Amino acid sequence: MPSWEDFKPFIITGLALGSVYAMSGVGMVVLYRATGVLNLAFGAVGAMGALIAWQLINHNGWAEGPAFVICVLFGGAVTLLYGALFGPPLSGRDPLIKAVATLGLALILLGIMSWVWSDKARSMILPSSNHGFEVSDVFVNYTQVIALGFGIVITIVTGLFLRFTNLGTAMRALANDREITATLGVPVRRVEAAAWLGSGLLAGASGLLLSNLVGLDATTLTFLVISSLAATLIGRLRSIPGTFLAAMGIGLVNALITPILSISQYRDMTPFVLATIALFLLSGRRGNALTGRAG
Amino acid sequence: MSATAETTAPEAPTTAKGGGGGRSWVPKLTAGERVRALIILGLLAIVLFLLPAILSGYWINVSTDTAIYSVVALGLGVLMGRTGLVSLGQIAVLALAGWVAARLCFATSLPFPVILLLSGLITMVIGTLIGLPALRLQGLYLALITLMLAGAIGVALRTTNFPNGGAGFLGHTESDRGNGTIRRPALAHADTAFFRYTVIVVAIMFLIALLHVRAKPGRAWAAIRQSEPAALAGGVNITLYKLWAFALASFLTGVAGGLLAARSGQLFTLQFPTQDSILLLAAVLMGGIYSFWGAIVAGALMRLLPALLDNWGLPADLLTILFGVGVLQVLLTAPQGIVYQFPRDMARLGRLIGGLFTRARGAPARERAG
Amino acid sequence: MRKHLGSRRTRSVLGLLLLAVGLSIVVTACGSSNKSSTSASTGATGGGGSSTQQAAAADVTKCGQKPGVKASGTPIKLGAIVTKQPGTDFTDGATMAQAYFNCVNDNGGINGHPIKYKYYEEQTDPAQIAGFAHKLIQSDKVVGVVGGFSIIECAVDHKYWESLGIYELDAGIAPECWGTSNSAPPNMGPRYSSDGAVQGVIRAGAKKIAFDQSNVPGTGYIQAGPTAVAKSLNVPIESFKDNVPIQDANSIALKLVQAAGTDGGVVLNFTPPEALKILQAAQQQNLQDRVKAWACSTPCNTDFVAKALGQQWDGKLLVNAELNVTDNNGPQTNLYRAVFDKYGSKVTGGLGSFSQMGFTMAQQVVTALESIKGDTYDLKTVNTAIKNLKGWKTDMLCKPWYYGSAPLHIPNNTDFTTTPHNGKMVIKDGCIPISAADPGIAQVRGIEQKDPSLTQAGAPVAGT
Repeated sequence: MPSWEDFKPFIITGLALGSVYAMSGVGMVVLYRATGVLNLAFGAVGAMGALIAWQLINHNGWAEGPAFVICVLFGGAVTLLYGALFGPPLSGRDPLIKAVATLGLALILLGIMSWVWSDKARSMILPSSNHGFEVSDVFVNYTQVIALGFGIVITIVTGLFLRFTNLGTAMRALANDREITATLGVPVRRVEAAAWLGSGLLAGASGLLLSNLVGLDATTLTFLVISSLAATLIGRLRSIPGTFLAAMGIGLVNALITPILSISQYRDMTPFVLATIALFLLSGRRGNALTGRAG
Repeated sequence: MSATAETTAPEAPTTAKGGGGGRSWVPKLTAGERVRALIILGLLAIVLFLLPAILSGYWINVSTDTAIYSVVALGLGVLMGRTGLVSLGQIAVLALAGWVAARLCFATSLPFPVILLLSGLITMVIGTLIGLPALRLQGLYLALITLMLAGAIGVALRTTNFPNGGAGFLGHTESDRGNGTIRRPALAHADTAFFRYTVIVVAIMFLIALLHVRAKPGRAWAAIRQSEPAALAGGVNITLYKLWAFALASFLTGVAGGLLAARSGQLFTLQFPTQDSILLLAAVLMGGIYSFWGAIVAGALMRLLPALLDNWGLPADLLTILFGVGVLQVLLTAPQGIVYQFPRDMARLGRLIGGLFTRARGAPARERAG
Repeated sequence: MRKHLGSRRTRSVLGLLLLAVGLSIVVTACGSSNKSSTSASTGATGGGGSSTQQAAAADVTKCGQKPGVKASGTPIKLGAIVTKQPGTDFTDGATMAQAYFNCVNDNGGINGHPIKYKYYEEQTDPAQIAGFAHKLIQSDKVVGVVGGFSIIECAVDHKYWESLGIYELDAGIAPECWGTSNSAPPNMGPRYSSDGAVQGVIRAGAKKIAFDQSNVPGTGYIQAGPTAVAKSLNVPIESFKDNVPIQDANSIALKLVQAAGTDGGVVLNFTPPEALKILQAAQQQNLQDRVKAWACSTPCNTDFVAKALGQQWDGKLLVNAELNVTDNNGPQTNLYRAVFDKYGSKVTGGLGSFSQMGFTMAQQVVTALESIKGDTYDLKTVNTAIKNLKGWKTDMLCKPWYYGSAPLHIPNNTDFTTTPHNGKMVIKDGCIPISAADPGIAQVRGIEQKDPSLTQAGAPVAGT
């Protein structure tokens, strides 16, 4: 059994991994709370934004700043476009159908990325990655701090936004029942558009940070959402702080298992095992609470 | 056979008489159904005897693959179309089934059909055990939990690797020379013979599924899919029939896994990527979750289409994009899939063309039948 | 109800079209990545001064024996099988071979015959691979198998090739690519390349080794090499495996650094994108100076990696290079670059070991074909000629290459060590033989000693 000294540095990497999961997890839950759609293409959108930024920097000679802005805007644009075209027709359907539809978007984006940018070694390092500070013998770079901070800020801001602002309340009502919300005089199209755009910008920003923290690789970034889904499931697709904490927990457990050589090989199972346990525990107590309705 | 299944699938069962004992298992065929059955037997004969004669070795292997994956699609169709339970982890179950079959092949010298049956049954048990706790979950949560379980199985398999003739429970050895080959049935060793063997087994699987659908389980599933509370009120044992659906789907996938193991000779985790579970879902949606022909279409989409694209020199990524577009299209406009929609589209096209001709002859424009 | 459906359909179709159009505008606005990668790589090497000027001016017509004459006879058909799937893209070998064949066809072909090349992309599915092998022989009627590069193809097909008397020229990965009589690769593969990497870190002073590789088929076989080499040099070694694609590179880098210790070395055997993740994670956690040395097997030997890593790794990362660097100004390398510039638009990985191997194999088969007397190019004549290749000297390899009749083939068993410098890979250590502590290497050295003509430079190869 490894010593405490061996475990210590993995706490930092665990927090870093946790914030990676938290970004996608919180991003997906936010959209779910606002539109009732679990956007499984979250990772793919971010990945494509990051690759476009990479292309602009490395082949079209753009400066980094504008390219990063394009990445974020791309995320917003694609998600908004998807939401505008496919949101309304699917709005009355089961959340499962809406989620599966986003899988369609993910496949399209994945196919395009694979085609245009085949699997090569690429990297796009943010300026913040080259500077950092030491925390008890482990070096923490500023990108990791930004990622963690980003996760925390998003959690707090969106939580407050959905709870206390008019637009936020409108979004939650929308996710719950679109028809009734429309009859109440809420401008559904505009509210929806705002939700999609916001979530898309989040996806783009996450893609930028994740390409730095995980790697600029289309397939990895697209399927990273599966591990993040574990966190959203533990948060019961409802609680944003819950999702955040679950993601951090998953990241920590995953990293802390690394030095335990006997099970280290299985640590990639962590998100799935934790989600399964949590879900069965929660569903046992709540019975029918885990039915379709969002919001 | 499938057309009847199609038309009854979307509505609540009208003859849910709670079963007439053993007799409900032996279907009585009407005249129309008898004709359909004969057509299907005819098609089967063509596939068994004509195809091997005209296709080259490579395409025989592709066809074998298509047949195997159509059984997997059938399993998913039973879950999704018949019972309304979405599973995003069928490929992981397929990998598990392949593992079981490979292990049995190396550890025992049982005849191949027995191994197929055993891998089907063992996978069925595992699938049911997995389904047990998932019963209380619905819709999106169920789908996500199957994705989680699939992820876990995937990681476990990647770490333990597939059996390849080694010793111990895991049966995997890292020796640098020739690993064992998973054996094929004694009767059907060559590719063409194995293709025929596969088609026959696949036909039997479809028959098993059909018998289920037309009998009590099928009616119970339809009731559950329509509305759980109503089914419960109608006296349907929801837990039992949901488990039965999981069991059947897992059994089918189990047998498919055995066939896949024998066809490949060696199994690698890279053959069962996470992406494939999602592609399978897309394929089944496009093929049509309510119909058995849809399962065959789904199998073709999974295995025949990539081979065709490769043959025409088009990139495999095009397939991913097409699947994505297909999913969106199906969910928006044709929930019953290509198999349902295609004949109607063709009929509409036919009427359109016919209308042009009548108009050309000066007759008054026919009312748009679309 | 129907009207509603109709408008839905129209809207969905329009929507999809819009999405497709929008995305394709974005993509085309960014320019074709293939063309740009060519200019980027030549641009990146432009800083080399006069040597690169000379390199670019190599005469492309040296491919064939009749400069400028387009070949137009009956084609000689060759084929290959390569792996292409998420996380693994080995198509560069085949696309570069195709480029060379195009050059040859534009300059006289083989005695007037053009070479027709066909390769299949597989996804590590044994039955798919076996199917492609049959298809190459039965449908495509190839007479030689050249330019393949696959994780398991050698294992799946070697008996089939043996039964047909085919001597495969492939870039190897599976153990069977070296351990059977019908395959001889230009590279030394993950095991022997990792041996070389281990030797490199030990030369740099490492007293303990942490060896990590991707969890793909064959890890036991690969691991055995470094273990034997480290043992023979009395250096303790700890071996790890990690699933790819890697999601948590930070923990992996940390684990390896901990295992190696301050006096140790970390040796990686991954494809470039994955190795890059680990190296960057190490850099971002400021771990790169925590161990004595870092090393990588051959896949890292590409300018893509040098550029992506940045200057912190200059001189610090030792890459065991099975092939010489791409700007060494030797005749074959110059020809390689010239062919790449003119015909290599489909080589997405740019200049690097994968395309170098494809080029080398293409040159090898052309040498073999040109040695055939008479005008018959069938399975027998072509494969006999391939088998008889020996003393084949190229500036890309340390020693002259050979095939010959033997139960195993490791003709490339002496190699370079490179290191990143200013965005390119440069040579650090010259040709150093791989340790004979690895049993395969010992066996092959025995074969070379028995027949010295195998490794003595023979007739000059195209480009010289």
